Amino acid sequence: MKEKLTTLESALSPIVSGSSVAIGGSLLRRQPNAAVRQLIRARVRDLTVMSWAGTTAIDLLAAADAIRRWEGIYVGLFNYGLAPNFRRAVESGRIEVRDFSETAMVARLRAAAQGMPFLPIRTLFGSDIAKVNPEQIRTFDCPFTGQKLQAIAAAEPDFTLIHGYAGDKYGNVQWPVVRDTDDMDQPFASGAKRLIVTVEKIVPHEEIKKQPSLTYIPGNWVEAIVEVPYGAHPAACDTLYDEDDAHLRDYVARSKTAEGVKAYLDEFANALPDHAAYLEKCGGLAALAALDVKGRA
Amino acid sequence: MADFTNNELITAYLSRQIREDDLCFVGVGTNGRAFTLAVGMPLAAVRLAQLHHAPGAAVYWGNLLEPDLSVIPEHFTQDTFTQWQAAACPPDTGVKCDMLARGRFDVSFNSAAQLDRYGNMNITAIGDYRNPKVRLVGSLAQPEHFAFVRRPLLLMDLDARSFVEKVDFITSAGHLSGGNSRREAGLSEGGPALVVTDKAVFDFAEDTREMRLKSLHPGVTKDAVLAAMSFVPLVPETIPETEPPTVKELAHIRSDIDPNRILLKV
Repeated sequence: MKEKLTTLESALSPIVSGSSVAIGGSLLRRQPNAAVRQLIRARVRDLTVMSWAGTTAIDLLAAADAIRRWEGIYVGLFNYGLAPNFRRAVESGRIEVRDFSETAMVARLRAAAQGMPFLPIRTLFGSDIAKVNPEQIRTFDCPFTGQKLQAIAAAEPDFTLIHGYAGDKYGNVQWPVVRDTDDMDQPFASGAKRLIVTVEKIVPHEEIKKQPSLTYIPGNWVEAIVEVPYGAHPAACDTLYDEDDAHLRDYVARSKTAEGVKAYLDEFANALPDHAAYLEKCGGLAALAALDVKGRA
Repeated sequence: MADFTNNELITAYLSRQIREDDLCFVGVGTNGRAFTLAVGMPLAAVRLAQLHHAPGAAVYWGNLLEPDLSVIPEHFTQDTFTQWQAAACPPDTGVKCDMLARGRFDVSFNSAAQLDRYGNMNITAIGDYRNPKVRLVGSLAQPEHFAFVRRPLLLMDLDARSFVEKVDFITSAGHLSGGNSRREAGLSEGGPALVVTDKAVFDFAEDTREMRLKSLHPGVTKDAVLAAMSFVPLVPETIPETEPPTVKELAHIRSDIDPNRILLKV
């Protein structure tokens, strides 16, 4: 097996301005925020970003003016309201959007995983989501029944970024037996071209191979793996730590203006050399442990 | 007549729409009043149906199929979602999407930034899609609910900004432009069934598919309802009162389902 353990900077260096990047996580779970802060530090611009229910990761990239186009099912901040920076960028025309409903996005991911140019659905008849996007959503007749169906173009991002629970140096990433499964990280990984994963913890391969059925991202698919404790902060990593309510409130407050969030980004991304410095900036591991959930391993 | 709150009235009303063996989709989101509308009252209504007349009614909540509604969490941070016990937790959300597309859901609870005369809804953008006045959240599975669920129930506070003649963007196709337009577009029968608000209940006329005033909540006048809408719905000559909760329903809500007023808080 090939060793793929590296640094955030090295893992993300292939992602340059103009790339397309799928970003994992859903709502306030497992947003790959450490990786996103590294992309912001690297001043990457003009990304096409794809997501399931995107929150902090998408809004941070939008705040840094790194997104040219977004495609997905949702961007918001869950119980913290609309995504202020994403919203500002779409309303000002800096981000172009392509909305996909959930079955449409599932079709895009599964098509990519199967090496197919599209998969059919029959959800979006009469919806403006189809009307505004003839580039990626087209009606055709079923060759068997003649029934009208909608072809949804495969999601084919250059890179896929996912934050996971634990993995080994070979890139094998495992999920816990009990977890929150309301996401599409595994299908995103299945259809990835260049898959970069961050994990809360690197564990010995001996641990991984005892329970291979828990490996939802096989190292075989992975280009690089990086250890970033609290890598989803200020969002949550289910089974390990909760969302940071105080930090999220502060972020939302400072995001009321473009100047406010610029100062936030300078403070929490640009002025810091790496993720270790971010953790120190947030009070260090001892302070972050207050977010840990009961029974954390 | 027993004393009851508006939220208890709505919850009891919703619970009577749920039949034995129904599978009901409930979302996970938001806080404040939006939480009560999207999560609190729907969960309470399904639980009330289970206790009262539909023991086999089931919920799909987040990605949990049949979470244990006898112990509904009292606060909703991530770890509460993770730890809530359930019959099944499929490996990803695609499973729920497949169940939607195969027509396995009987009921969904929906709300929107805009809803129009024909029950089309918008959670995507206010104003022009390419140059929006307000960019909203996108679509989630709301298009699927209107396309595939047998009886979508809308749960929204009546407000002239939300109840508009025509939505700015059709996220979810309801009855489109009325009549047969929904079928002609390629969608199945169905579409939004009822709109339950804080003032009144609406359904959709069988022929034109226009929104129609179905009942007024106790103490609410027709004029108060029309004043809170940007279009005039169909108004029958006589409008019944929304049937109030029974003593038994109220006892279930207050003692068994939501004793600490979490679900029906605001």
